[in-house]
Amino acid sequence: MNVATQTGLQEKDLNITTMRSAGQLIKRSLINTRRLPSAFFPTLAMPIFNMVSFSGTFFALTKLPGFPTDRSVNWFMPLGLAMGSAFSGVGLGFSLIRDLENGFYDRLRMSPTSRLSLIVGPLFATWIRVTLVAVVVFIAGGMLGARPTAGVLSYVCSLIAALGIATIGAGWGLGLAYRFQDMRGAAIMQLSIFLTMFMSTAQVPLNVMTGWLHTVARINPITNIFRLSRSGWVNETSADYMSWSNAYGGLLAIAILSVMSLIFAVRSLKRIDN
Amino acid sequence: MTTSSVRQTMALAKRSTLELFRQPSVVVPSMIFPLFFAFLGNSSFGRTTSLPGFPKVSSYLQFQLAGTIVQGVLFGSVTGAAALATDIENGFFDRLLAAPTSRTGIVFGRLAGSVLFGALETAVFIFALLPFGADVSAGIRGIIAMIASGALISLAVGALMSSVALKTGSSEAVQGTFPLLFILLFFSSAFFPRETMSGVYKTIAGLNPISHLVEGLRALSLDGFTASATARAILVPLAIAIVALLIANTQLRSRLKSH
Amino acid sequence: MTVSPIIAENLVRHFGDVQAVKGIDLEIKSGEIFGFLGPNGAGKSTAVRMLTTLLRPTSGTARVAGYDVVKDADKVRRNIGVALQDAAIDPLMTGAELLALQAVLYGIPQSMMKKRSDELLERVGLTAAATRRVSTYSGGMRRRLDLALSLIHQPTVLFLDEPTTGLDPMSRLTLWEEVRRLNKEGTTVMLTTQYLEEADQLADRIAIIDHGRIVREGRPVDLKASVGAPTLIIKTQTNQEELAKTVLVSFGDLRPGAQGELGVGLRGGATQVTDVIRKLDEAGVHVQHLEINEPSLDDVFAEATGYRLEGSDNAPPAGDNGVDEPQTKKKSRRGRK
Repeated sequence: MNVATQTGLQEKDLNITTMRSAGQLIKRSLINTRRLPSAFFPTLAMPIFNMVSFSGTFFALTKLPGFPTDRSVNWFMPLGLAMGSAFSGVGLGFSLIRDLENGFYDRLRMSPTSRLSLIVGPLFATWIRVTLVAVVVFIAGGMLGARPTAGVLSYVCSLIAALGIATIGAGWGLGLAYRFQDMRGAAIMQLSIFLTMFMSTAQVPLNVMTGWLHTVARINPITNIFRLSRSGWVNETSADYMSWSNAYGGLLAIAILSVMSLIFAVRSLKRIDN
Repeated sequence: MTTSSVRQTMALAKRSTLELFRQPSVVVPSMIFPLFFAFLGNSSFGRTTSLPGFPKVSSYLQFQLAGTIVQGVLFGSVTGAAALATDIENGFFDRLLAAPTSRTGIVFGRLAGSVLFGALETAVFIFALLPFGADVSAGIRGIIAMIASGALISLAVGALMSSVALKTGSSEAVQGTFPLLFILLFFSSAFFPRETMSGVYKTIAGLNPISHLVEGLRALSLDGFTASATARAILVPLAIAIVALLIANTQLRSRLKSH
Repeated sequence: MTVSPIIAENLVRHFGDVQAVKGIDLEIKSGEIFGFLGPNGAGKSTAVRMLTTLLRPTSGTARVAGYDVVKDADKVRRNIGVALQDAAIDPLMTGAELLALQAVLYGIPQSMMKKRSDELLERVGLTAAATRRVSTYSGGMRRRLDLALSLIHQPTVLFLDEPTTGLDPMSRLTLWEEVRRLNKEGTTVMLTTQYLEEADQLADRIAIIDHGRIVREGRPVDLKASVGAPTLIIKTQTNQEELAKTVLVSFGDLRPGAQGELGVGLRGGATQVTDVIRKLDEAGVHVQHLEINEPSLDDVFAEATGYRLEGSDNAPPAGDNGVDEPQTKKKSRRGRK
């Protein structure tokens, strides 16, 4: 008896699509998150801790002349969320390294599914996790006194920024993981994303900065993303308040950096058999 | 301590110190990160020094120096204690116990390495930040006092972390305290003066021992080499170090007993 | 005309300065079980990774299932099944979930997924464990799940990379049975192993790889025969030894035996044993003990590479090896120490 005759599987029946494979890979990623919540916990705790400690420690910042909000939680909640999203993104690189090291990834690579699905599947799963984190951060922020200044749009802009940062981080993390295939990649991922994030308006607005940081932060595209993220949390009178002109720089930065980092990931994946 | 136990402690101290310096990948981050934060803070918070409640400083960096030192020492001491836990995990500790080595020497030898590293880190931070405006008002005597203080802080934190290592025997558990230290650091006056904080944060920072370790050092760099500044910078970490050493000793004894 | 499912021509792979595979030629025929034998680090995994599209050859070509492994990697992937060494399986997922993932990755239509998955689970005896997490599986269960995963799309060519390394003898036997069954159903199997016993038991043909080159290739029986005649060992009363020798020498060269034993290399092969016994009996020699040592693949390996394959003696014994042999003989298959 031939296996083939049992189910009568034929070439023409095969249904290999990127979206279908990506769907299964999302499912796998979420199953793993649900069954090993301890791995997800830091991603959730980190942004909240970041928000709480920064807005408490640097409470007096809001008293500086020209500071765009008088609520320190309003200022630091988007930072917490952005840090959490960035680490969720590069976290994909971490789990990829695990898959590469234990050989599970060979299984995925040997399958005839599109290479793109191997990247977008886990990426979509990250978006789901980041959205979850955002909801928790918004609630915690609200309890600490964060008040939106542009209604629902405030939350939407912060979420878009978070998803964007997660995407950029994911492409970067995956690409490095494909190239290094071991924990060396992880160290570079963390360090680079950490430095890039902080050398922007992460902590204070441009008009408060002095010296080298001002120069670096002004050209750092992450600054644009932070402007988008905070546009519904600064005072209506602030120059950075929600407007199309303030949003589009952030959206553009997200689009360009996401595409670049995802291209980096895809190219690195294609080189992996070398 | 007998002469031979002193010699053994010295030998073990030498081993732990050499081990530390042979692992630049472990040591360098505990130096680089605090320095990065110091420069980042100087550019970010340079304008905050005029805020009401902020002490009179020549630059934010001058204010930040003490926080940078404590930050570096905290992270460095995790590395040292993790090495002790690794000794326990891979059986080196047992081998020492099997030899006629002085029991306390095993732990004190490790701590001696931490103390030396703490002093070195402190000196590096002071001299690295000095050219950028982190003036030490207390002059050369103040710098020496600060290095001594840094060494004592390193001893105190190192002993506490060693207690964790001795209690759990797991380097993972020691590394696991890292986020805890991070939280303690951020809920202290390491980065911003307590006087500028509000409500509950101010209370937490006031209760946080890290605040007091930082503020002793900070008094030396801001107020000059005064008796009260020196006393704060030395006595606070000394007191914590004594308590921490007693805890570590208790943990060592209970580990030996369970052997 | 059927194209051989695996053809490699002068396949080479370098890692920096290290030449892991130094030019391999292979042709595996449709329906064969082909054993790829070699110690760790000999280059067999590298070769298999090239054949399964995981690694790009430095030079040379390979066609698997009729397609070029580099140019038509996607088509190759659709036609091969691969069970990996160490069965890397996500421990947090259940067997059924992994099968579903695998099914989608291979494009099995939704309508067939359930049926196909159930069939495979039953086939490898994991129906009851299907909804349990893989972390609760034994080593043997993981290998069987791995095998099921590799069969999801009914591949015509199956690669098994050290499928039984680390398994207990029972699990090993079960896996061997399954491999034989699959082969009977028409699947071409390429099996890498470091167990000589396994290659001997399963493979129609084998290749021995050492230092990145294939040093021997052929049917196990031919390879063994090429090493030389089987050794017959007899034991008799001390005072009859000289008499026995005069009989034995007519069947082949005398070979050293252990204390009190006589050995002879049977020129005409193992089938001569009955003749030897008859002649000894006619000469009045009283035989107390008799055994025949076939040349083993270990001997072939030693002769080809100059050293013994480490661990060949540690391979757990599997199965009754003597079933096909005449029952009149007591046979020992112990590998030479």
